[in-house]
Amino acid sequence: MKVAEDALLEVDNLRTQFDTPGGLLTAVDGVSFSLSKGKSLGVVGESGSGKSVMSRSIMRLLPKVNIQTEGTVRFKSRNLMELAPRDLRKLWGPEMAMIFQDPLGSLNPVVKVGKQVAEGLRVHSGFSKKEARSEALKLLREVGISEPERRLDEYPHQFSGGMRQRIVIAIALACQPDLLIADEPTTALDVTVQAQILDLIEEQRNQRNMSLILVTHDLGVVAGRTDEIMVMYAGRIVERAPTKVLFANMKMPYTEALLESIPKLERPSHSHLLSIPGQPPNMIDAPRGCKFAPRCKYVQDRCVEEEPELISAATPGHLYRCFFPVGSAESADALARNMANGKVDESGSRVHIRT
Amino acid sequence: MAGSGNLHLREQEKPLLRVEDLVVNFLSAGGETVQAVSGFSIDVLEGETLGLVGESGCGKSTTARAIIQSPKPTAGSIQLDGVELTELDDEEMRRTRPILQMIFQDPISSLNPRRTIRDVVAEPLYVWWEEETGRLAIASWFEKTGNLFQKISSKFSRPARILAPLAWLSLIFWLVSEASDERSLETWLSWLKTPAQFIGFPVLFILAAMAAALSVVGAVWLVLAVILPFGVISGKFGSVTNTVGLTGLFTSLFAVVFLFFRTWSSLGGVAHWLSSGILLLAVGFLAVWSLLACREPSRAGSSALAVLVFMLFAIQVFYIVGLDGNTKLAVFSLSAAVDGILYWLIARRYKLARAQMRQRAEPEVKRVLEAVGMEVEGSLERKPHEFSGGQAQRISIARALILNPKVVICDEPVSALDVSVQAQILNLLEDMKAAYGLTLVFIAHDLAVVKNISDRVAVMYLGKICEVGPPELLYSAPQHPYTRLLIDAIPRPDPEFDQRNAVRIEGELPSPLAPPSGCRFRTRCPNVQAKCSTEEPQMKEVASGHYVACHYPADSELNQ
Ligand SMILES: Nc1ncnc2c1ncn2[C@@H]1O[C@H](COP(=O)(O)OP(=O)(O)OP(=O)(O)O)[C@@H](O)[C@H]1O
Ligand code: SF4
Ligand code: SF4
Ligand SMILES: [Mg+2]
Repeated sequence: MKVAEDALLEVDNLRTQFDTPGGLLTAVDGVSFSLSKGKSLGVVGESGSGKSVMSRSIMRLLPKVNIQTEGTVRFKSRNLMELAPRDLRKLWGPEMAMIFQDPLGSLNPVVKVGKQVAEGLRVHSGFSKKEARSEALKLLREVGISEPERRLDEYPHQFSGGMRQRIVIAIALACQPDLLIADEPTTALDVTVQAQILDLIEEQRNQRNMSLILVTHDLGVVAGRTDEIMVMYAGRIVERAPTKVLFANMKMPYTEALLESIPKLERPSHSHLLSIPGQPPNMIDAPRGCKFAPRCKYVQDRCVEEEPELISAATPGHLYRCFFPVGSAESADALARNMANGKVDESGSRVHIRT
Repeated sequence: MAGSGNLHLREQEKPLLRVEDLVVNFLSAGGETVQAVSGFSIDVLEGETLGLVGESGCGKSTTARAIIQSPKPTAGSIQLDGVELTELDDEEMRRTRPILQMIFQDPISSLNPRRTIRDVVAEPLYVWWEEETGRLAIASWFEKTGNLFQKISSKFSRPARILAPLAWLSLIFWLVSEASDERSLETWLSWLKTPAQFIGFPVLFILAAMAAALSVVGAVWLVLAVILPFGVISGKFGSVTNTVGLTGLFTSLFAVVFLFFRTWSSLGGVAHWLSSGILLLAVGFLAVWSLLACREPSRAGSSALAVLVFMLFAIQVFYIVGLDGNTKLAVFSLSAAVDGILYWLIARRYKLARAQMRQRAEPEVKRVLEAVGMEVEGSLERKPHEFSGGQAQRISIARALILNPKVVICDEPVSALDVSVQAQILNLLEDMKAAYGLTLVFIAHDLAVVKNISDRVAVMYLGKICEVGPPELLYSAPQHPYTRLLIDAIPRPDPEFDQRNAVRIEGELPSPLAPPSGCRFRTRCPNVQAKCSTEEPQMKEVASGHYVACHYPADSELNQ
C-alpha cells in the first residue's frame, strides 16, 4: 500500500476473525488505509458491518481467546501487532485513546469522576495527587462541565447521559493522545446533545492537532465534520473519499442507499424513504460475489459471480468497490434492466424477494 | 417554554384523542416535587399523526404514559373517543386498552426475553381474553397485586431506606441471640437436612440464607447475597433510588416476619392463630411482591403460581417449628409433598389454558406478523434476542396491532435503530397507518424524523409545549427559538452545511424540580429579554394552525 507522507496510522490488510460455534466469522476482511497527523476520518456502515471490531483491532483491545487478527497496524512506524501487552498499555492513553458508545459502561460507577479523570494522569504523566486533581479540574472545564469543583466529587450516575460522555471525553483527552478513536460516541444521545458532543470533539481535535477516527452509522454525523469518509460493508471498505468528493460524486450503490434512507428536513412530510431492503450478509459464509448484491438495485449477473476489487476513481483519493458505479452509464442501464424485469419497482426500491 | 394556554386546541372539530391541561408530578427521592409535565394540551384527529419532539428529559415519555394511564396523571383531562380516561377505574381502563396501544424505544428489552415470538405477539390477546372469560383469574389477581405493590413501593421508598438498616440490625441481633441458644440452633439445622426441602426452588435459597445468617459472618453474607445481586439486577431496569427502596422494603418486611416469629412461639390459643394469620399475610405478600417487583408486573404468569405455593410452604414452616421432634419431621415432609402436588396441578392447569389460547390466537398472530413483513414460519418459536433491532421493532409493532387498536402511541420507536433500519420502520408505520386507519402519536428527539411522519408537530420543552403546527411551517418558518435550535442540531448529510457554525443550544435542561420562572426556556434562550423571566408566554396563533408560546417569536417586530 502506498504510504502517505506523514502518516500517523497505517493499517494494512487487517483481518479479524472470530471462532464461533457456527464457524469462522470474518468480521473485518482486508481493510487497508492510512491516516495523517491531525486529520479526521469518518467510518460509516450499518450495524454489524465491522466498524467496532475494526476499531478495537486497531487499538488491539480485543481479547485473545477465539479471535484471530492478521495484517499490520503501524502507529508512528511501530507495528502494534508485534507489541507486547506491556508496551501496548503504555500507548493507551498518552498515544492513542478510545471512546465508546455507552458512556456509563466505560465509567466505573463507584469511583468519583474526578478520580477517574485524574487516574490516567497519575499513571502516565507521573503527576502527584494534587497536580492530577487540578489538571482534572481544568479538563472538566474544557469539556464544558459547569461547576467542575463540585462535580469532581460526584459519581457517574449523578450526571446526565451527555455529561457522562463529556467526562469520558475528558478521560480520553487527559494524556494528550495523538489518535482518538470514537466509536459511535453519540448514538445513545439525543440530537441536541449529539451536536454538542460532536462540536466538542471537533474543537478539541483542532486545539490539540489530534487525529480522529469517528465511527457512526449515520452519514449525516460525519458529513460536515470529518476530512474523509470510509464506508464499510460486510467487514470491507466499499468506498473511501474526501468528504466533499464523496457527496458530490458517490460511486458505491451502498453509500447512495445509506444516504437515501436518512429523512431529510427539506423533503415534504410523508415522503417515502428509500430503505435498504433485507439485512447485511451472514459473515460466516458470505455470498461469493459482491457482498451487497442481494440488496442492490443495480445488481447484475456479474455481481453475483465475482467480487469487485477496491479501485480508484478519477478523483485522487477516491476508492470504491463496484462494477456498476452510481452515475455511470453502465449503472443507468443496469437499473433500467432491473426495472424492466421487475426486480426493482418504479420508485427505485429493490423489490424484496422473500425466500 | 413555554407556555400555557389552549388556543391551539381545535374546538370545532371532534378529536379522537384530546389531552387538556395535563399535569404529571412525581415525588423525588428527596421528597420534592418533580414537575415532569405541567399543563400540556393537545388534540389528535382521527387518522392524523401527531409528532411530539423535544430533548430527552423534557417529558415526552411521561406524557405518553399518562395518556395510557400508567401511572395516572396528577391532573388534567384525557379523552379518547369522548371517554374521559382519567375517571376510569383500573378495570374499565383495561377494557379500553385494545383501542389504545403503545410501542417503545428499545425493541428487544421491551419484549419478554423468555417468551417465544408467538406468545410475545399474542400477549395482548391473552390478557384480553382472560379479562373476557375470567378463565385465568388467578393470574390476573397476581398481576393486580403486583401493581399494588409497585404503587406501595414507590410511595414508601423513603421510609424504607431509613428502615432498612434498622431492620437489618435488629435481625442480626436476634439471630445472634437465637444462635447462642443451642437447642434452637439444632432446630434450624435440622431443616437443612430434610430432603423434602428440595421441592420447590425458592425454598432452597431461603433455607440456605437462613442457615448462613445464623452467625454474624453469615449475616454479612446474607447482606451481600441478597442485597447486592438484587440491587445490581434491578438497577438495570429501574433507577438507583428505586432499587434501594425496593431492597429496603424487602429487608424490613423480612425482619418484621422474623421478629414476629420470635414472640409467636410463646403464645397459645387465639393469639397463636391470630399471629399465624398475620404471618400468612406478611410472608405471602413479601414473597409475591419480591418476585413481581423486580419484573414487569403485567408479566406475572406461571411464576406467580410458584410463588403462591412457596407462600404456603413458608407458612407451614413457621407453623411446624412450634411442633416437637418427630412430629415436626413428619408434618414437614407431608406438607412439602402436598405443596409439590399442588404446584404441579396448578401449573398444569395453567399450561393447558395457555395451549388453548395459543391455538385460538394463531391465525391472528400470523396475520399481524405478515402485515409487518416478518417471515412467519421461521419466527414463531424463536425468542426476541434472536432477532436484530429492526426485526424486534417489527415484532413490537405486530404486537401493538393485534387487538386492532385505533390509537398507537410510539415512544421513540426508531431512536435505537440504524438509519437504514429506521427508514424501514418509518415506512412500515406509514403503511400500517394507511392499512388499518390508525391514529398515531409519534415521539422522537429528531425533528427530521418527526417531520417525515407527522401531519402536525408539537415541540415540547420541560413539560410544556412551545410550538405547534404543520410540519412544513415548523421547518420553513420556526417561530420559537427552541424549535430553531432543534433544527440546527439535526445532523445533515450535506458537507456544504457547516455544522460548526450552526447555532447550538447551550448547557443542560434545567431541573424539573425547580423550573425557571416565566418562560421555562429563558435560561438557555438566545433571545431572552427581561419580560421572559416574569411573565409566562401564552399560546398565540402566528399563522393558520401554527401556534407558538413565546414573547418574541421569530416573526415578531423585535426580531425583524
Ligand atoms: N466477540 C464476538 N464474537 C463473535 N462475533 C462477533 C464478536 N464481536 C463482533 N462479532 C461479529 O462481528 C461482526 C461485526 O461487528 P461489529 O460490532 O464490528 O459491527 P459494527 O459495525 O460496529 O455494528 P454496530 O453499528 O451495531 O456497532 C458482526 O457480525 C458481529 O456479530
Ligand atoms: S458490484 Fe453490483 S451488486 Fe455490488 S454494489 Fe455494484 S452494482 Fe451493486
Ligand atoms: S424569547 Fe423569551 S419567551 Fe421566547 S423563548 Fe426566549 S425566553 Fe422564552
Ligand atoms: Mg459498533
